Amino acid sequence: MTTTTLPLQDRPTETARSRVDSAFGMAIFIGAWSMAFATMFLAYMILRQRQPIWPPDDVVLPSLAVAIGGTLVLLASSFVVHRAVGLARAGRAGFARHWNVALALGLIFAALQTWLWADLWSAGRFAHTGMYETLFYGLTWFHAAHVACGLIALGWVSVGIARKRYGHSSLSVPVNVAVFWHFVDVVWVVLFVTFFLT
Amino acid sequence: MSGEHKGGFLSTYVFSKDHKYIAKQFLWFGLIWLLIGGVMAMMIRWQLANPGEAFPLLGKLFFPRTGGVIDPDAYNMLFSMHGTIMIFLGLTPALIGAWGNWCIPLMIGAPDMIFPLLNTLSFWTVVIGGAVGAYSLFVPLGALEAGWTGYPTLSTTVGTPGSGETLWAIAVFIIGASSIMGGINYITTVVRLRAPGMTWGKLPLTIWGLFFTAVLNVLFLPVIGSAMLLLIFDRVYGTQFYVPATLTSGGGDPILYQHLFWIFGHPEVYILILPAWGIVSDLLSFFARKPAFGYRATVGAMLAVTVLSAVVYGHHMFTTGLSPMLGESFMLLTMIISVPGEILFFNWLHTIWKGSLRLNSAMLFSLGVIFVFGLGGLTGLFLATIATDIFLHDTYFVVGHFHLTMAASALFGAFAGIYFWVPKMYGRLMDERLGKLHFWCTIIPLTTVFCTMFVSGWSGMPRRYADPTSSPYVAELQYLNEITTIAAFILGAAQLIFAFNFIKSCFWGKKAPDNPWEVGTLDWIPAYPVPHGNFATTPTVVTGPHEFSHPALGPDRDWISQTEALPETEGKTA
Repeated sequence: MTTTTLPLQDRPTETARSRVDSAFGMAIFIGAWSMAFATMFLAYMILRQRQPIWPPDDVVLPSLAVAIGGTLVLLASSFVVHRAVGLARAGRAGFARHWNVALALGLIFAALQTWLWADLWSAGRFAHTGMYETLFYGLTWFHAAHVACGLIALGWVSVGIARKRYGHSSLSVPVNVAVFWHFVDVVWVVLFVTFFLT
Repeated sequence: MSGEHKGGFLSTYVFSKDHKYIAKQFLWFGLIWLLIGGVMAMMIRWQLANPGEAFPLLGKLFFPRTGGVIDPDAYNMLFSMHGTIMIFLGLTPALIGAWGNWCIPLMIGAPDMIFPLLNTLSFWTVVIGGAVGAYSLFVPLGALEAGWTGYPTLSTTVGTPGSGETLWAIAVFIIGASSIMGGINYITTVVRLRAPGMTWGKLPLTIWGLFFTAVLNVLFLPVIGSAMLLLIFDRVYGTQFYVPATLTSGGGDPILYQHLFWIFGHPEVYILILPAWGIVSDLLSFFARKPAFGYRATVGAMLAVTVLSAVVYGHHMFTTGLSPMLGESFMLLTMIISVPGEILFFNWLHTIWKGSLRLNSAMLFSLGVIFVFGLGGLTGLFLATIATDIFLHDTYFVVGHFHLTMAASALFGAFAGIYFWVPKMYGRLMDERLGKLHFWCTIIPLTTVFCTMFVSGWSGMPRRYADPTSSPYVAELQYLNEITTIAAFILGAAQLIFAFNFIKSCFWGKKAPDNPWEVGTLDWIPAYPVPHGNFATTPTVVTGPHEFSHPALGPDRDWISQTEALPETEGKTA
């Protein structure tokens, strides 16, 4: 409990070594979760190549415009969160502001994702309707669960920043959350390409 | 990480972050589930030998509706849940959870796991998974009935309408998450927290085995997690991932599930066996008082098995109409995996060759692993070969094979670990006479049980029949089922010797000296009770883990601690 007036204060427990430890553990975690998504995409590939026509004839495609919007918003969010970490590392101002902008962009993405689903629902296309819907809902649900976890983590760090919990050399938690957020972003880009561009 | 525990009852005894306490939690958790799964095995065997007769003693309690008789539905649940419980809730915690947590920090000279909170979470996640699995036994329409593999279409809502199957998928998902957490922790700890001087070439082989297991856990548990999630989507939200076109209007693919399941399922076999191999490789050297023969080759073979385990899964699916080219590739790769297996056997036999064997319980169980895995491995060749597998698929031959390889070997590895490390874990020696009795009363009936299954399977007895007398040609084999069941009950009863010995020794056994086995690995340096933080000063490693009977040590002592340098030999001879 120091009463420093610096905008960011350091936790003395974090060392150069422990930062590498934490990054290493996070890398393995991302590797594991990549396998989980790879499994989903394998299921997609196998089930799609079994269909005679793709997308199936009677299918109502989700809105490409909304999906492009979501992709841009999520990419922007990832970029801003990267910038936030960079600023924090350099000990410069703007960590909190950038982080909160990234969180807000993440929330906008969640809203656009809900819009995509709502469009399909209002067209009467549900998860049990057909193979396209099975794959679209199944994969986006799994991704959205990660978006939700990412948003909770981003929010948690936002609160932490407000309570001055992180300093320019005690950034493991924000860095790991940022890495996870980039991962969620990358997976979405693959999902977007899979469903909307192929 | 070092320093004494500060905190209340909960953080000391329930949500402890100390790897040694978590190891004990995993061990007891695993043993309790092994008991539950074992009782289920006894019920299965009872039904097979005495179809339609009430299960004695406990039958009326568990099957009140039928007056103790195991009806076909109950039988399906029993073998399905027996498999799931033994693999995910019994062996995984008792072998990987317990000995991974106990050995990794102590043997590499670390104060604790690198992420202690993640470690606590890993244990309590598996407890939640176990609770969901246990709850599924009591829901209307009962638990999982589709076999531990949960194949669609049996596991779709058409095949099993109750919520038991869904709860099972959720439980496997949760337990998988726990294993991933453990895996991340194990890998990072071994890579980042080794004591000074503990090079990769000086790691005890136990750690190598656990390390490769952790790698497989991290890579392939997510696959089963996703596969289960898709099954849950199918069952709860009506998606059609695994629902074939003929059942409803769907266009899904039940074979897809088999691919996903076995992409995980085959590595899972090695997830369970690699820690046992590691423990055995160390213990054989410790109790033969000889260096482990071919240390590098052993590590290389375990690495080769780890890599190959990812590319052999198709041999579970020869009968699914797999493309012949794919089938033959999988057959070839499966055959190739026996090469590193044979390197391990060669090294083990060379390690004990002309050694001064100390045949105590831990050593006996290590030798037991070699024996049962050898039997299981050799019979695996028949199942790897497409021509014979098509005939033997889904017979008791398969049941005998996988019980010897993944179940008995992993169980023996866990037993060897218990007899070996309890003196440091609880500061008391296990009763050696009871231990040896336990070994002989286990290995003889165990071999009888599973080798008789080879005979009945070869003769054509199919798996999963609730009543083997219902079909005339299988009824002919009933005497084999009776032999198996008698041996199985002896095997079950022998485990009571272990339960008695374990509980008695842990709490009232003879006090153990600091290094009862006279071995040099770091885990025997701290005195019992090992303090929080393990080592008063971080050890510096200068010697390998298996420097036994080195000529430089002189006639009075045949071992050296990993922290001591070997004395200079006079007139060095190569």
